[in-house]
Amino acid sequence: MNWEKEIDEIARRRELALSQGGEEAIAKHHAKGRLTIRERIDRLIDDNTFEEIGPIAGAANYDENGNLESFDPANFVLGFGEVSGRKIVVGGEDFTMRGGSPSPAGLRKSVYAEEVAIQYKIPLVRLHEGSGGSVGGTSGKGTNLPGPVNAPARFRSVAQAMSTVPVATAALGAVAGLPAGRLVASHFSVMSKKTAQILTAGPAVVARAMGEQKTKEELGGWKVHTKNGTVDNGADDEDACLAEIKRFLSFMPDNVGQLAPVTSCDDPADRADESLTSIIPKDRRKAFDMRYILSSILDRDSFFEMGKSYGRSQITGLGRLNGQPVGVWANDCKFLAGSMTADGAHKARRFMELCETFSLPIVSLVDEPGFMIGSQAEREATIRHGTSAVLTAAMTTIPWASVMIRRSFGVAQAAHYGPEGFVLAWPSAESGPLPVEGGVAVAFQREIAAAADPEKRRRELEEQLAARQSPFPRAEALGVHDLIDPRRTREELCRWVSRVQPLLPALLGAAKFSIRP
Amino acid sequence: MTKIELETGGSVWKLLTKPGDLVEEGDILFILEVMKMEVPYESPVNGKVTAVHISEGDFVEEDQLALEIAVRKPV
Repeated sequence: MNWEKEIDEIARRRELALSQGGEEAIAKHHAKGRLTIRERIDRLIDDNTFEEIGPIAGAANYDENGNLESFDPANFVLGFGEVSGRKIVVGGEDFTMRGGSPSPAGLRKSVYAEEVAIQYKIPLVRLHEGSGGSVGGTSGKGTNLPGPVNAPARFRSVAQAMSTVPVATAALGAVAGLPAGRLVASHFSVMSKKTAQILTAGPAVVARAMGEQKTKEELGGWKVHTKNGTVDNGADDEDACLAEIKRFLSFMPDNVGQLAPVTSCDDPADRADESLTSIIPKDRRKAFDMRYILSSILDRDSFFEMGKSYGRSQITGLGRLNGQPVGVWANDCKFLAGSMTADGAHKARRFMELCETFSLPIVSLVDEPGFMIGSQAEREATIRHGTSAVLTAAMTTIPWASVMIRRSFGVAQAAHYGPEGFVLAWPSAESGPLPVEGGVAVAFQREIAAAADPEKRRRELEEQLAARQSPFPRAEALGVHDLIDPRRTREELCRWVSRVQPLLPALLGAAKFSIRP
Repeated sequence: MTKIELETGGSVWKLLTKPGDLVEEGDILFILEVMKMEVPYESPVNGKVTAVHISEGDFVEEDQLALEIAVRKPV
């Protein structure tokens, strides 16, 4: 006697599990231009590195003699894999069975994803396509018991994962309910423009509850969710989403106890870009290209922008200085003059929390005219969200380097400087309680009105006061560490990043405050 | 047909095109003033302006349709 029969049975079940929802369901899925979860995982991770967890978890039906009649694998695939040689946990719903709505074994594996990432202290990648529970229950038979009152809080591990390891997610098909909630419980999320929609509830539920008739794309397509910040980025297709996740992970440590990986850098630290001497127009009404400045200062091709279509007056992302990963934050004066809007402040707060969580130094290029004003800004509670960003900056413990590129005004500018930060200014820097244009109109209202030529008087006053906002008096008063030739910015920042290296190990471990969606 | 929609609210400071104008990719179509900054809108295509829905001095809103351009086919 040996265990041959049982061993064969294991092999048979493994094979059955790999068939997922069956040939027909897979063909239907492919016909819609979407990959299966196993194909997605294969494309994300390095060749032959998948180590599956619970490959034969699922629902088995037996005949009266105890022989297996049929087997439905769990509709969540989970395991370890490697991305660029680094171990991660990866998982996702299998849409070819029950449309990704969790089966009992599928739900167990899905919930286990965070726990196993926390246990092994390695990044977690979730590739989502599926819906939440069904009123029929996870068994589909409506007979399962509700969970006990003393069950562990379901979302605790989701929150803990976010304060322990990098979590990156993608929406690759329709994602609704629980998977949608988990999609956004991440440090970086991306959705496929071709194949994904994100829905708190789908069209049928919306039509029933709200009487609103909308397609999935109208309710939750990329145009909606990249602009409102539900996801950080939109990418053209599934492969592009996976490439963005790999890029994000390349900047991240494995967990909060480790330093972000420093890579070798062949871009000279003292590379000087001549065009920086003239990139800021002398005419203060004219905008400039902040993204060009970022790409010029950071290591060549290292800038990875997150949240480009959301809170667009603020630019946030990751990059490298002499190989060291850094968080990157700047204003985009081409969008609402770069002012701090409610959504821009929310984006900035999440960005700072990400950097604090993973001990990434922040480089901030400042051109902040102040909080956005006007009736829409008031309706959006800009002052509250903006102050939240300001206080978040004040509470950070990571090193900051802020470069005053042009404007730095009001309460909002305080969000762009960390405690004990290194501060440089370009000759184009202006700072003060508020930009002269608005300030003059208010403070000199009577004087302007009484002048023979009010318009002329207003311009004279603006010019006089603009001169006072020059960076030279600030540099004289040690209000900045240095006033620099813009061409020296990269060199100065590379020196700074080298100076702060010894400070980073002491910051490792759980952050005092961590990131929330 | 390429539609030029506004990315933010603001006021139309300078309108530099009218229906019938031929434009090249990169030509400035109009300039908004937003929070005291000039925001130029460039043509994303080579083509002919078929409709202009804004006028100088207008206060405009985000997502508002500003201009339509018929794309010229490459020769």
